[in-house]
Amino acid sequence: MLSLRISASSGVPVYLQLEQQIKQAIASGLLQSGDALPSTRRTAADLRINPNTVARAFQNLEREGVIRTVPGGGTFVASLASLAPGLLKAEKFRRLRPLAEQLAVEASQLQLPSADVHKLLDSALNDLAKTRRTRTPNSSGEEQ
Amino acid sequence: MTSYAIQTKALVKTYGLGSKATRAVDGLSLNVPEGSIYGLLGRNSAGKTTTIRMAMGLARPTSGDIRVFGLDPRHDPDRVTVLAQVGYVPEDKALLGLTPRKLLELNRSFYPATWSDVLARKVVDRLELPLDTAFLKLSLGNKTKAALAVAIAQRSRLLILDEPTTGLDPIALDELLRLLVEDCTADGRTIFLSTHQLAEIEQIADHIGIMDRGKILLEGPLDDIRSRFRRVTVTGAALPTTHPGILSIRHQAHATQYILQSAPEAFAQDLIANGATIVESNPMSLNEIFLELCRTSESTAADREEEFA
Repeated sequence: MLSLRISASSGVPVYLQLEQQIKQAIASGLLQSGDALPSTRRTAADLRINPNTVARAFQNLEREGVIRTVPGGGTFVASLASLAPGLLKAEKFRRLRPLAEQLAVEASQLQLPSADVHKLLDSALNDLAKTRRTRTPNSSGEEQ
Repeated sequence: MTSYAIQTKALVKTYGLGSKATRAVDGLSLNVPEGSIYGLLGRNSAGKTTTIRMAMGLARPTSGDIRVFGLDPRHDPDRVTVLAQVGYVPEDKALLGLTPRKLLELNRSFYPATWSDVLARKVVDRLELPLDTAFLKLSLGNKTKAALAVAIAQRSRLLILDEPTTGLDPIALDELLRLLVEDCTADGRTIFLSTHQLAEIEQIADHIGIMDRGKILLEGPLDDIRSRFRRVTVTGAALPTTHPGILSIRHQAHATQYILQSAPEAFAQDLIANGATIVESNPMSLNEIFLELCRTSESTAADREEEFA
């Protein structure tokens, strides 16, 4: 089951925290294509956060094709497997560009050398791949 | 176009006369968008309760204007229309000397069109409000709960809550937040609440106003405010002392700390271009922003007084 957590003191806007956590849950296989998401109001009440904030996050995710809303039928995780590879590379770049810029700004503020930023990104990608493998039932476990 | 549940312009409320006059509200301009959960934050005696009382038509502005749904809460017939659409939990929670059960029955008869017995029951159950205790024997927390039950069950277009967490324990507080989100925000309804307890409000509010000495220091969508403020620690020679975004500067032994209230990226770029080193750059919580703004406003006020001395 999806468990979302909001940190009010992190300084990161709450709708972004929600978007990131849902994307992360999908990337790690915790949420899979076709899974139903709770309603906006339900999510807001469970997390004790503003319904408009949840709606904003869901709208952004829907625009990006991460989830889809069936009128009167609820919200579901979109079939990423069919969607993502079909996207033009240029479109994928366009979507990731703001995140890359943010990472670049933060790294330059901390004056972290470019090589270290690459290392950090590789390690995050590796971690994600590892979680995904351990969650997929048919793959051979690689945990030591 | 945004419509506002509450809007004030250059609102002033003075108590007392002549040299003893104090300005409880001092040129306040407040904009509470309809459909928002708006948290009015401020220290004790910042002017929050006086503002709310003026919105309810319970206090008369000395000058300036206050509107609720575009109507003037001071005069009939507007006043009646306003009161019929507002659920109100007053600061002192001093309700009629009735048991909560009687209090609910009485108010049910005042709001026949909108009152919900189901919702009244739900609030009573969730907050564990004893229904048959004499009012004078109710604890402070239970008085708050009784006032909340009455206000929420009205299902009004605007809910005005003056310090709605007084006396509530953490469980009751958590249940209250859930109730507000679940049952008081549908159909474009507005919640306007005042508090000095920031953490809980930070969760559910989408708009905030920070008030001090009768004035608004900061107002806007909470996410915008969060993304604008930043605490930056810097080392280097000849650091800037003026930049559009700087709210305050603190010099430490080996570094300088800036609080930025806008454009943190532009500031960082200028610093780096000038050869400075940014040691740390962190977003700020609402609590930190609040403290910083109140302190800055205090020192500006002190400076002004010195000028006149």
